[in-house]
Amino acid sequence: MCSSRDSVDRLHELCAVYYEKRHTNCPSCRMLGYIWQCFYSSCLRFWLKWFLRLVTGRCELQRICARCKAGALRTSQIEYSLKSSKSKVLQTALSVKQNELEDRLAQIIQEKRIKEQKDPTFKVNLRQCLLQINGYNELFEEVEELRKKVFDSENEQHENMLLKLWDLLMPSVKLESRITKQWGNIGFQGDDPKTDFRGMGMLGLTNLLFFSEKHTDAARQVLSHANHPTLGYSYAIVGINLTEMAYSLMKSDALKLHFYNSVSGKAEMQHFHQFYCYLAYEFDKFWLQEEPESIMEFNRYREKFHDKVKGHLQEPEVTLTLTPNPEN
Amino acid sequence: MGLLSILRKLKSTPDQEVRILLLGLDNGGKTTLLKQLASEDITHITPTQGFNIKSVQSQGFKLNVWDIGGQRKIRPYWRNYFENTDVLIYVIDSADRKRFEETGQELAELLDEEKLSGVPVLVFANKQDLLTAAPASEIAEGLNLHTIRDRVWQIQSCSALTGEGVQDGMNWVCKSVNAKRK
Repeated sequence: MCSSRDSVDRLHELCAVYYEKRHTNCPSCRMLGYIWQCFYSSCLRFWLKWFLRLVTGRCELQRICARCKAGALRTSQIEYSLKSSKSKVLQTALSVKQNELEDRLAQIIQEKRIKEQKDPTFKVNLRQCLLQINGYNELFEEVEELRKKVFDSENEQHENMLLKLWDLLMPSVKLESRITKQWGNIGFQGDDPKTDFRGMGMLGLTNLLFFSEKHTDAARQVLSHANHPTLGYSYAIVGINLTEMAYSLMKSDALKLHFYNSVSGKAEMQHFHQFYCYLAYEFDKFWLQEEPESIMEFNRYREKFHDKVKGHLQEPEVTLTLTPNPEN
Repeated sequence: MGLLSILRKLKSTPDQEVRILLLGLDNGGKTTLLKQLASEDITHITPTQGFNIKSVQSQGFKLNVWDIGGQRKIRPYWRNYFENTDVLIYVIDSADRKRFEETGQELAELLDEEKLSGVPVLVFANKQDLLTAAPASEIAEGLNLHTIRDRVWQIQSCSALTGEGVQDGMNWVCKSVNAKRK
């Protein structure tokens, strides 16, 4: 009995996975996938769930929690299950505030008629999943807010951050004045970095500063590569372009698996910055390996690097963190 | 032969390709202009490292627009893109008066380039949405545009952010390509 139950469960899982990741390259596969998707979500999924509930005595959420280990696998399946649920209580659990979380958990348990004594870990596990799912959306709102904040020369805090960035990257060189060609040495375009933040606003500066503060050696190592006479690039400008990459990946939900695997509760701003650090460090390595003809090739290699990162981000076990190796 | 390919053949003659070079100092608004032309989102723009290229359809032309970064460090690479240019668009930040002299020098050097000789030039006096922006007439005078004798030129005030004036400028571009190719 147990093994047949398992295999039905596997089948169900496969259906869901197929739904999420159908072949998108060939048109006939796409067509077949589409038909399958319609069939699966409109009737097959419902009857499979009904049948499994009958056989196992547990609802889909419980089965997912029992079957999958904590992390992206569990959380993304819970997310999918909630999203496709016909119940309002479950559907809207994807956007609850942290202080409403306990009430919502109780509502779900009531709605699905779950006996807590029989499945004592369920509530703990579901809470964690909901924290991760809602945390991602909340974090994106924070990231968006910081991006919209324009760098303001009148704001002392903004100015201090900029000056601190210089001191961290160029400890042995004093800045001659606030407006100076020296900014070019850490890869800004002109005499005043303020115009370079543009569409990324304070998010760009905060990313640059975080990398220099938390991974000072790695940041200086990257800067020294960026100042290479032939293979060099503009450190700060490329950094701001990588902020844009991190931001767009997060916006398109591509960072979900990574965050679900690497942060067990709600993801915080520092986790976004950490991901930026990974990009900054890895892009530098990638650029040096590829040996581009000149800086004019930047966008081509940016695309190539972007595809590579996106590929990693689709792996179920993905966690992308900066692991510096000392320079030889 | 499928129906689609027959239909494709019936379609009017392929669009004439036009190569447009977008130059100017950094923070002038070249990339915003490029994205505005392609009707793309302009809220996430970052400084251009290297170049961007986009193709836009306009008045029976296929405009291949090359947007090259304006930072001093990469200006020496501009010349790699001069070949076969049909129209040069030079973008100026009308509110950045401190750099009028620098932008004038760069433009003068471009107009002296042999590979760009006779190429029509459109100057976009950009960022007119800012209160501090200098009017196009003032910029034209500062740049001594009226002394240009070896090509057709035009100055157009615009705001790449709001899109105002951009289409007028592009109409002039298409007109001057037409005149040149006749």
